[in-house]
Amino acid sequence: MIRLVRIEWLKLRTMRTGFGLLATSAALTALFASLEASRAGNGKNGVAPLFTASGLGTVTTVTGWSMIFAAVLGVIVSSGEFRHYTATLTYLGTPDRRRVLVAKGMAAAGAGVIFGLVSALIATGVGLIFVAGHGYHVALGSGTLVAHIAGAVVGAALFGAMGVGIGSLLRSQLAGVIGVFVWALVIESIIGGLFTSVRPYLPYTAATTLAGIKLGGAAFGPAHGVSGGSPLPFAAAAALVLGVAAVLHVITVRTTLRRDVT
Amino acid sequence: MAVIEVHDLTKRFGALTAVDHLSFEVDAGTVVGFLGPNGAGKTTTLRMLLGLVEPTEGSATICGRPYEELPDPLHRVGAVLEASSAYPGRTARNHLRIQALAGQVPSTRVDEVLDLVGLTSAAGRRVGEFSFGMRQRLGLATALLCDPEILILDEPANGLDPEGVRWLRDLLRGLAGEGRTVLVSSHILAEVAQTVDSVVILNSGHLVVQSTLDELTTRAQDKVRIRTPMAERLQSVLAAKAATAVLVAPDRVEVTGASAEQVGLLAAEQAIPIFEITTDGVGLEEVFIQLTAVAPAKENAR
Repeated sequence: MIRLVRIEWLKLRTMRTGFGLLATSAALTALFASLEASRAGNGKNGVAPLFTASGLGTVTTVTGWSMIFAAVLGVIVSSGEFRHYTATLTYLGTPDRRRVLVAKGMAAAGAGVIFGLVSALIATGVGLIFVAGHGYHVALGSGTLVAHIAGAVVGAALFGAMGVGIGSLLRSQLAGVIGVFVWALVIESIIGGLFTSVRPYLPYTAATTLAGIKLGGAAFGPAHGVSGGSPLPFAAAAALVLGVAAVLHVITVRTTLRRDVT
Repeated sequence: MAVIEVHDLTKRFGALTAVDHLSFEVDAGTVVGFLGPNGAGKTTTLRMLLGLVEPTEGSATICGRPYEELPDPLHRVGAVLEASSAYPGRTARNHLRIQALAGQVPSTRVDEVLDLVGLTSAAGRRVGEFSFGMRQRLGLATALLCDPEILILDEPANGLDPEGVRWLRDLLRGLAGEGRTVLVSSHILAEVAQTVDSVVILNSGHLVVQSTLDELTTRAQDKVRIRTPMAERLQSVLAAKAATAVLVAPDRVEVTGASAEQVGLLAAEQAIPIFEITTDGVGLEEVFIQLTAVAPAKENAR
């Protein structure tokens, strides 16, 4: 299995798309963290001042993009095998397709670790720069900041693995990528805004709460400003996202994985 | 000893039967042409042989086992199934490095096969910039990477220029000379006629013939064309001598199964005037076309 993961990791390292997605994720994180920091405390958008733990935390946890883009990378590495007909070579080398799927999931999770770490470091850096610029005291302890960074890393890693399941299931890169964005930014936002009791159990929302993001904080739609509900405990949220990824992989093994490679 | 065994192999895609109860064997150390027109079912058969497509019925084994049960499959079988099976943004060297890791061969082997297929100077270029012929060469390099004893090549000459076809022919000859077993598909007999020991010809998913190339050559018969004012009389005389004579015009007869000399002497004996007599050679390619044209074509194949 280690060799298979090394193969998938080498594939990731030798495709430009992964670096492009990482750069996009980092740029969006920097942009949105800067926007939140510049608007903090002005009383219009509800972001508390940066000298408060809540205000600073809003900025340092702008890491949702890393999870979305990690999932997109997972979709691309798995569905890309069919788009570019490389699945033929992959399965000739490793006829056991389930092992290939698991190795891809592990490699994408590894990439997700980098996505989450880069994004969390950028968001934290932006928050601390703005705090220093205003001459404020840093209201969040180092333990909290590290916990948020670790949460972003775990969330993005799990979303990377989940993306592999989605891409393998759909086999269509376009449908998979659009599906990830629509689910995370539209569907969860609508459901989360309408049913606050369900919101903590939605996979993208659960992953973002791992990183310390407030419920609805990563949503673009109606759920963004809606309060209510409590985030799941860290272990429960991680188990939920891992469970969704595992279910997607199992469905893939039982359906599309056995399909003919033509 | 047969290293490739296909027995009663059938593949249906819904109502479409791509391969229909196909059986043939390939002996170790031989080079076999797997021939048929486009859509005959060649690619589907090769994909079933390599465990990529699930047969509806029958079996396809390599060294007595289904492909997926072979230990170290890349060291037993090298395959080229489509020239474009490479990520376009990856360089040729990185493409091969991935396969080298899959086959557990040292990365030095990557440079060896790049040199073998004449792609050393293009090793650092992205595959997306390659011509179709260069991709075919990269596909062959991938197949040869783990030095397999069996090669399965699906239309490897597609997209190659005449020089490339000659290069491929020399490469296949070299591989055959090393005692490897090669199953090479093509829809053009001439592409492989100088390389193969025997042929398996199929059409519409059915086996048309499996024979040595020599046996196929004996099927190639010359055609004698005659212009005479007594064409009907000549036709009946030739028919009596077991030759096949066809009246193609009131004054023209086409004959197979008899030489121009035999036809001339017979006409002289019967006092039949001959105004014109010519001989057309029938090549292997025409035999191939005839064989695949007369095969049953109940349903379309892939």
